[in-house]
Amino acid sequence: MEQNPRKEGSDDRVVPEPPAPTPPEDPAPVMRPEDEALVAERLRELGYIE
Amino acid sequence: MQEKPNIILITADSLRANHLGCYQYPPPTSPHIDKLACEGVLCENMFAPGIPTQPSHTTIFTGQHPVTHGVVAHGGKARLTRGSPWLPEILYEEGYTTCAVDTLFRERIWFGRGYEYIVDPSLRHMFYASVTQEELNERAIQWIKTVPKGPFFMFIHYWDVHYPYTPPERLRGLFYDGHNPTDPDNHELDEWWHHPIGAMARDTWLRSSSGLIRDPKYVTALYDREIRYLDEGIAALQAALEQQGMAENTIIWLGADHGESMTDHRICYDHYGLYDCTVRVPTVVRWPAGKLKAGSRLAPFRQLSDVAPTLLEATGSVIPEEMEGRSFLQQMQGQEEPSGYDRVIGLESTWQAKYYLRNSRYKFILARQPDMLGNPDRELYDLAADPGEDHNIATEEPQLAAGMEAELEGWLADKLQALGKTKDPVKEEGAVAESIWAGHRS
Repeated sequence: MEQNPRKEGSDDRVVPEPPAPTPPEDPAPVMRPEDEALVAERLRELGYIE
Repeated sequence: MQEKPNIILITADSLRANHLGCYQYPPPTSPHIDKLACEGVLCENMFAPGIPTQPSHTTIFTGQHPVTHGVVAHGGKARLTRGSPWLPEILYEEGYTTCAVDTLFRERIWFGRGYEYIVDPSLRHMFYASVTQEELNERAIQWIKTVPKGPFFMFIHYWDVHYPYTPPERLRGLFYDGHNPTDPDNHELDEWWHHPIGAMARDTWLRSSSGLIRDPKYVTALYDREIRYLDEGIAALQAALEQQGMAENTIIWLGADHGESMTDHRICYDHYGLYDCTVRVPTVVRWPAGKLKAGSRLAPFRQLSDVAPTLLEATGSVIPEEMEGRSFLQQMQGQEEPSGYDRVIGLESTWQAKYYLRNSRYKFILARQPDMLGNPDRELYDLAADPGEDHNIATEEPQLAAGMEAELEGWLADKLQALGKTKDPVKEEGAVAESIWAGHRS
C-alpha cells in the first residue's frame, strides 16, 4: 500500500490546545491583629465604638 | 413537646436583602438561607425605620419607632429609658431562658436587658466585629445542647457581613470575574479614601500582598463571600437544632438591622444613606410547628418594629400597648390576607441627619443638615421607573415633593406631640459621626 508522505502543515498534525484563560488574580486580603487594632482605634475616634 | 416555641432571633449585621438568592440575586451567595425561605416565610418589603446598628436593634427589641424610643443615632447621646418595653425581658418574665450571643451590651447597657446568659466570644478580638459565625455558633450550639430546661430565647448577632470583609481563604475566587483587583490605574474608589471609613479600609483590610485593592467589583465579591460564609453558619446552626430534635418547635427568625451600600449613591461599603439598599432588609422565618405557610412571600410593607409583637404573639404573650409595631403572625400562617403599611417613615442621625418617607411608588428624603456628599436637601425618587433611586426628580415634581414633605413633617409633629416631646431628635443629635470627624479635621 502506498503511503503518502507526511507534509508540513498537513491536517493531521497535532494542534496544541489554546492556552487556558488565566484565572482572575485574587489577592484575598488578610486582617492582621495590628489591622484589627487600627480599625478599632479609628472607629473609637469616631464614637462608633467605645 | 413543650408548648411554647423556642426562638432564635438572628440579626446579620449589614446584610443587604438583594444580595441573597431568595431576593433574586443571581450569584449563589445563600443556598441555605434560600432553602430556609422555601420552608418558611419571606418578607419582601421589610424596612428599617432607623439605621444603623444601635437605633435599629433598639427598634427590633422595643417594637417602637426610633422617634419614640429616642435612640436615633449610633453613638449618640440618647439613652433608652428603663420603662421601655424590651422583648428579651418580657420573654424572661414569661418563663423563657434567655441568652444573647452578642456584643452590643458592651456599647450600650440596655442591650443586656432581660438576658440570663450573655455569651461574647468577640472579647478575643481587638475589634468585636471581627468575630466569626464559627466562633459564635460554637458557643451558641453548646449552650443550646446543655443549658435550657424549658423554652428558650436566643439572640445571635452575626458580624461577618459587616466590614472589614475578610472571608475565609477557602472561599477565594468566588463571585469575581475581573482580572486585576489591585490595578493601580483603577481610580474608582479614590473618592472613598477621603471618607474616614474608606481611609481605614485602605490602611488595613484592603491591603494585600499584591498591593492595594482598588477594584470595587472585587470588594463586592468579598462582601458576597462573607454572605456565603454566613450562610454556612446558618446551615450549621439549623443542623444542630435538627440533631437536638428542636427544629420543629423552634422559630428561626433571620433578619438584619440594615443593609449595605456597595458603591450605590457614592456611598462605598457602608450603611448610611436612606436608600433601599440600606433600609430594606431581609426577613426569613421558619417555624414548622407554628404552621407557617411554607414558601409564602409577603409583599406588603412591614417594619422592624413588627418583629417583637409578632414573636410575642407566637409565644402567647401579651403585647404591651407601648409597642407600636403590629404582629403579622397570622399572615405568616396564612390565616389572614397579607396586609401592611401604606408608607414607612424612617431616619438616620449618624453620618447624615435625614428622614425618609417611602410609599409603594415614591421615596422622599429630607435632610436636616447638609450631607458630606453634597446631595440636595430634598430628594424624590420614582421607584417604579427608577428602582435604583438614581434620578432625583424633586425639582421636576415640586408639588409631589412638597406634598410628601408636608406628610412627613405632619407625621413627626403629631408623633412628638403625642410623646410630649418638643424637639426633633434628629435635629438634636445631628449627624453624630460626621460631626466628630469634622472636629478631628479642624
